[in-house]
Amino acid sequence: MKRTPMTETHQCPECGAELTVDAPRGLCPACLLKQGFESSPAENLAETAAPASRFTAPTSEELARRFPQLEILELLGQGGMGAVYKARQPSLDRLVAIKILPIDAGRDPAFAERFTREARALARLSHPHIVGIYDFGQADGLYYFVMEYVDGVNLRQLVASRQLSPQQALALVPQICEALQFAHDEGIVHRDVKPENILLDKRGRVKIADFGLAKLLGRTAGEATLTRVEQVMGTPLYMAPEQMQSSHAVDHRADIYSLGVVFYEMLTGELPLGRFAPPSQKVHVDVRLDEIVLRTLEREPDRRYQHASDVKSEVESIVSRSAPTPTPVDNVASTKCCSQVRAPAIGLVITGILNWIWVTVMVAVFSYVMTFGLESERRQLEPQLLTVVGITILTLSACIMFAGFKMLRCQAYPLAIIGSLLAMLVGPAILIGLPIGIWALVVLTQPEVRRAFRRGRDGDRAPNLRRAQAPARPFQLLAVAGFALMLVSGLLFVAGSPTINVMPRNSANFLGSRWPARACLFGSSPRRSVRPRKNRRRNASRSNQHRSRKRASFTLTELPAASQRVYEPSVC
Amino acid sequence: MKTQPPNDVAEQGARVFATTRWSIVLAAQDRESPDSRKALASLCLTYWYPVYAFVRRRGHAAHDAQDLTQEFFATLLEKSYLRSVDRERGRFRTFLLTAVSRFLSNQRERSRASKRGGGNQPLSLDFATGESRYRHEPADAWTPERLFDRRWAFTLLDTVLARLEDEYRRQEKGPLFERLQDYITGDGGGSAYAETAAALDMTEGAVKVAVHRLRRRYRETLREEIAATVESPDEIDDELKRLFDAIA
Repeated sequence: MKRTPMTETHQCPECGAELTVDAPRGLCPACLLKQGFESSPAENLAETAAPASRFTAPTSEELARRFPQLEILELLGQGGMGAVYKARQPSLDRLVAIKILPIDAGRDPAFAERFTREARALARLSHPHIVGIYDFGQADGLYYFVMEYVDGVNLRQLVASRQLSPQQALALVPQICEALQFAHDEGIVHRDVKPENILLDKRGRVKIADFGLAKLLGRTAGEATLTRVEQVMGTPLYMAPEQMQSSHAVDHRADIYSLGVVFYEMLTGELPLGRFAPPSQKVHVDVRLDEIVLRTLEREPDRRYQHASDVKSEVESIVSRSAPTPTPVDNVASTKCCSQVRAPAIGLVITGILNWIWVTVMVAVFSYVMTFGLESERRQLEPQLLTVVGITILTLSACIMFAGFKMLRCQAYPLAIIGSLLAMLVGPAILIGLPIGIWALVVLTQPEVRRAFRRGRDGDRAPNLRRAQAPARPFQLLAVAGFALMLVSGLLFVAGSPTINVMPRNSANFLGSRWPARACLFGSSPRRSVRPRKNRRRNASRSNQHRSRKRASFTLTELPAASQRVYEPSVC
Repeated sequence: MKTQPPNDVAEQGARVFATTRWSIVLAAQDRESPDSRKALASLCLTYWYPVYAFVRRRGHAAHDAQDLTQEFFATLLEKSYLRSVDRERGRFRTFLLTAVSRFLSNQRERSRASKRGGGNQPLSLDFATGESRYRHEPADAWTPERLFDRRWAFTLLDTVLARLEDEYRRQEKGPLFERLQDYITGDGGGSAYAETAAALDMTEGAVKVAVHRLRRRYRETLREEIAATVESPDEIDDELKRLFDAIA
């Protein structure tokens, strides 16, 4: 009676796997290993029927005779859970799938009742991400389900093709969670969540198949007999530890564990066996995903997520906060946004350049006048003020240009905003800076442009996504702080100009005359009008002390005594 | 069966397996102890074929591969190779795979000619059978690592079934085992219990009880054998999953 796979059959009668010549004693190695698991989540279905019966999938012709109302098109596949056929239902002109359960109806009268009960519960599962059940019953000793036909692939095929990016996986997980949560709310546990059971239609929508089938085909504890084959149905690779220990204590959290295995496999292409590395160490994914995946894979059900919906919301929060997938659709949108941003960004750069040119021309003119100009003309010039203003404009214009360059690459959103504002406010090129700045601001405030900037930023960070939790780079902070500082000092200079004009010139010391003015500005109160007279006096005396230091080394030019007319010590 | 562990180890029975042989080796890795040496030798004797298949699949000719395998085991048993065992990779299977990979890459750099032939041969390995077995391996279907894991799983199952058969024979139940072994994975490949009962001159109920006992004993033996190659019993299920993945 010894099985001789060489001559009789090359398939394992239990799991339908192909048997190789070297199989240990002609026994299926997979089934032998499965026997090693302490208990089974779903005991052998063959026991449910009778020992002698072996399931062989009926041919399409045989099936056509039993289902005259359907056109059987082809056998899609078969395994431990039965055989699935593709068929057409002419009355409704739709494609359907027929699943034939590997059960010999005649052998187990109790099964019929259980089948009806479970099938009714399963048929109630009407959800966009669950393969719908149209009909079920028994036809000539065959138990069957007529189900929604999903034209597409299963997740196993997708993972094997290596075309599944981590980002696409993140888009699928919430859909799987939704389906599981819906079923769990209905009190149905899948018990066999694995990539083969997760189908994807042509639009990429998830459809989970075979809900509750493992339980239906398994048997409850009370029905166990001495001869039951305590065998794990399907693959044990996705099974929760408690599911391998005992099939009785299994609840919906076993599905959450299996989901975790599928999740890990989708991200890394490997199974989380042994001491496995967290996903972010294998692929470039957000480090926060590690926590989610590892929590679904907790050995203790109590330490896992308690609801599939929790997994969904956690994943979604990460997806929405971090890099959205640069899918083709997104890329198209990005390209569009970038072209929208390009013109004002170039405008900003040009504004900056014009400012620079203006300053350069002014320096040239100034130098010319100082060298060759008339005495009266020279007297009118205020070289100190011009130098400060020139340097400020040069610096701020550099900011505008830098912001323009960054904006061209859809990066550094705050900088782009600052650049646009500066273009409107700063420099002689304000005539074109003002409209360009407004234009840039209008473009930048558009939501899709903001998204494009976020993508640009994340794309920039892509090589070290794992540091996504870290705050913005110090460089960026420094740059923003620097610009803010420059802006403030620029404004203060502008605001300080009138004060400067009333400062003493007789000291013939540029800085000596400036510092008291600055001391005034940065002091307890910069506003002359609101300053109490007493304080003004004190400040004035402080100014005089300063002046008296006579920093000759800073002297740029001797100012004529005529300019002393503006000096009023008490005004400051 | 040729890959049987030596008698002294095999005879110690289930008690030894319960304490796991690999854990003995790991516990004694800092100092040489006869127990740990014996344990390691018996493990190597059981799982030498996966190593040989790995070396062959790495592209070495039969003769070279035999020399290298023998030399590898000699190094493993003689030198304190075990000191380099990474505690993180605490399984014998992964340890052996890492060790042989490292051995082969070091070997390439050295001149091998001087090392050959001189070393003693601590394990007597049946290379003739090994080679004929290797010739049946599907060509290029798997990487050396995958072939190693697959062969490991098959060797493990062979060992378990051989142990079980031996156990039944010693109780003079050899024919019973032969009849019933097909029931281990399922319900007997089409043979009804009644038919088997008639052939064995037993009642159908008695056959069912015997099958149940056989399955239980098989599961225990399988788990014991796996326990012998991992550091702690907690890892048995996981190792089972890994092997299952390897043969899938």
